[in-house]
Amino acid sequence: MSIKSDSNKLLSFGVRIIAFSVFPMIWFLSQAILFREITNRIPRALLIFLAITIGSSFIFFLYAGMNKIISYAPKSYQEGLYGAMFVGPAIFLLGLFLFYPAIRTIYLSFRDKWGENSVGLDNYVWAFSDKIMQITIRNQFIWLVGVVTLAIMIGLIVAYVSDKLQKGEAVFKSIIFLPMAISGVGSSAIFKFIYAYRPPPLTQIGFLNGLRVTGGNDDMGNPCKNNIIENGRKIDYVNDGCTQPIGWLQQRDLTKFTSFENVTPDDSFFSWLVNFPLNTILLMIIMVWMYTGFAMIVFSAAIKAVPTEITEAGRIDGASEARIFLSVIMPYVKSTIVVVATYLTVTVLKAYDIVFVTTRGDFETNLLAVKMMDEFSKFLHFGRASTVSILIFISVVPIIVLNVFRNKEDEAL
Amino acid sequence: MRKSLIGLLLILSMVAVACGNSLEGQEVIYFGAPATDGPDGQAIQSSFDQFTEDTGIIVTYVGSENFESELLAQIEAGNPPNIALWPQPGTVRAQAEAGNLIPLEDLGVDLEEYRSNFSPYLVGLGEVDGVPYGGAHAVNLKSIVWYQPAEFDSRGYAIPDTWDEMIALADQIVAEGMTPFCFGMYSNGATGWLATDWMEDIMLRTGNGTTSYDQWVNHEIPFNDPIVKNAATYLSQIMHTDGYVVGGSDAIVSTFFGDAQNPMFERDGNGNPGCFMHRQASFIPGFWPEDAKEGLGTETTFFPFPDMEVPSDTVLGAGDMWAVLVNDEATQAVVDFMLSENYFDAIASDVAGTGSTRISAHIGFDTSKYWSPTTQKQADFLKAALAANVFRFDGSDNMPPEVGSGSFWSEMTELAVQGPGYIDTALDTIEKSWP
Repeated sequence: MSIKSDSNKLLSFGVRIIAFSVFPMIWFLSQAILFREITNRIPRALLIFLAITIGSSFIFFLYAGMNKIISYAPKSYQEGLYGAMFVGPAIFLLGLFLFYPAIRTIYLSFRDKWGENSVGLDNYVWAFSDKIMQITIRNQFIWLVGVVTLAIMIGLIVAYVSDKLQKGEAVFKSIIFLPMAISGVGSSAIFKFIYAYRPPPLTQIGFLNGLRVTGGNDDMGNPCKNNIIENGRKIDYVNDGCTQPIGWLQQRDLTKFTSFENVTPDDSFFSWLVNFPLNTILLMIIMVWMYTGFAMIVFSAAIKAVPTEITEAGRIDGASEARIFLSVIMPYVKSTIVVVATYLTVTVLKAYDIVFVTTRGDFETNLLAVKMMDEFSKFLHFGRASTVSILIFISVVPIIVLNVFRNKEDEAL
Repeated sequence: MRKSLIGLLLILSMVAVACGNSLEGQEVIYFGAPATDGPDGQAIQSSFDQFTEDTGIIVTYVGSENFESELLAQIEAGNPPNIALWPQPGTVRAQAEAGNLIPLEDLGVDLEEYRSNFSPYLVGLGEVDGVPYGGAHAVNLKSIVWYQPAEFDSRGYAIPDTWDEMIALADQIVAEGMTPFCFGMYSNGATGWLATDWMEDIMLRTGNGTTSYDQWVNHEIPFNDPIVKNAATYLSQIMHTDGYVVGGSDAIVSTFFGDAQNPMFERDGNGNPGCFMHRQASFIPGFWPEDAKEGLGTETTFFPFPDMEVPSDTVLGAGDMWAVLVNDEATQAVVDFMLSENYFDAIASDVAGTGSTRISAHIGFDTSKYWSPTTQKQADFLKAALAANVFRFDGSDNMPPEVGSGSFWSEMTELAVQGPGYIDTALDTIEKSWP
């Protein structure tokens, strides 16, 4: 009996191994080899047809095949094996497309330009000593703090206020949520027009510069307008005294603005305004605009889940609206804030499209994800590109760990 | 089930055998940066129409804005295109060093003939250890300044022959309440290249001319050498003298280079153009507004970049270069065609009707074939410079990418923003970043 049970165990272990790895692997490899061999040999139409049929029937045959194998196993092990059958391909795919590339990226981050020789920690030293990299890390930090805080704060306030609205809550919330429905590239393109700059005497097509050059008078007392034709005469803004347009997306010097024009780099207190990353903040606003709606929707649901008895009890006790928000609502939505913060942090670390579309990292606006692609495709330095991606990876880890612990806590409750 | 599978494989193998014998119907993928449906992309595709008719080889040009990263991904995935067209020869050499390219000799190219047709200097740009990998394709002319003759004549301005004359003219224009220069170098991800072009033109005409230029590009003199600093000071004179550039330093870095010349075509409230001179390469008319394009050669034309300390006929230019990644018979036939004299016929005569102003790098190419008189003039210029070996290729394209498309661009951008006091810091930073 015990010998038979042992052999059964062995058999089931073997079947499990097959279910976990060998079978999916054979499938993947056979497809890869098949398509590599036939790609340049058969007409494209036939190739597409084959790819679709073989590719889509893949899962079916995979499970049918494993099902058949498991049916040979003893009855008592089949249940566990079916579990393995469902998890196996997932683990295999994760390993192939996530785990293996991650390991290889770590390996490459210790190697040179083409990944040929080991360079020790050189790439990491570069990552923290190179001027552009230091600015990139600084920007990433500004984005992390700025986007996450602003999106959460504005989202929370808007959610709380809209909850109080007698009518029109749905319309109000839809408008705030709308940017979520626009792709990152689309939003960036919209804001690119808001910040657009054209040299004088061209008509300013950007919203901000259009406002800037319109209004006021020049030194001769003539009005300044954005190239508007009045009575057949063109009124422009090129004369002395008119406000000149600003290149918003390259602007790092606030002394261009009237309020700060007297600031010099030698000022003990305001000198930071001379080299202030205004453009980074302007880009950050795009992301805040995009994600405030998301934060609002989630907070709105959380606020609605707060029992009205409690808020009413607070009111009867004479608490002010601000007090109720801070002492009653906030404790209830605390865990929601953590969830939103986690999501936003990871999103900001991956942020790529906004910078890519607007400045492509010029004028000290780069972010890690864009820098990684620059190092890979522009400077052809695989080692440094891997190092930057490892930096992104490392910055995500604490948040993931935090989240896992928090989930455990929730389960314990 | 099993039988039908075997049957399918049998059919597949027959198809494979049937297609493997003749070049007829063979596909060659040609991958480059100019967009497939853009003017250049269409022109490139049109140049293969006759070839496809003659040989049956189907050449498909594919262009992508993210050419460099997509190509890398394709190479890494083991599925590269047959031929790739790089906008910078430096990248061709980098790829050759990485072992991804096939030497031209292995493709059956007669190197002697290739060198004499395209000048040893151009061929040398695609060589690693004396082995040519890259094929010269099109060249453009950078040492020119665009201007509008009518605006010059009506005000009595003369075309400046020397730098000092140009500065004097600029001062005169400023004194008359107008702006002499258009200067815009914003270029998504490549901001700064226009300033590096200016630097190169100045370097060719100062110090020891082409000698010190070559030393500078090959890093035989440091980047913060007095000769380079002198050149940067000249450039700073244009960028930072009050009133010289439309919109000041904000405009220099924020204006898209393709829009930079638009102020020249615009008239302000007093009827004056926004600027009078714009130093930019021969390809810029492709970016002009439609009505300005019609005036190319008449309303708007160019004069050569003025002489400086070292009087010379040197010409700065740039160009693209292709190289082969997959060697097969069809690709070899395409390579033969691309190195032949008549490859550029369709592009020069603008068969595609897109107004392409590309200029062939082939010295033997008959310049009267170009549809536009302006392009003819530029091509003659280039041909003479190539034959006399005074043509120099855009230096930043030949520097290591960390400098040529990295610190040189970004520090020149910073220089434009920060003013002349930043010259030393900029040059020191670039010198430090040289790998």
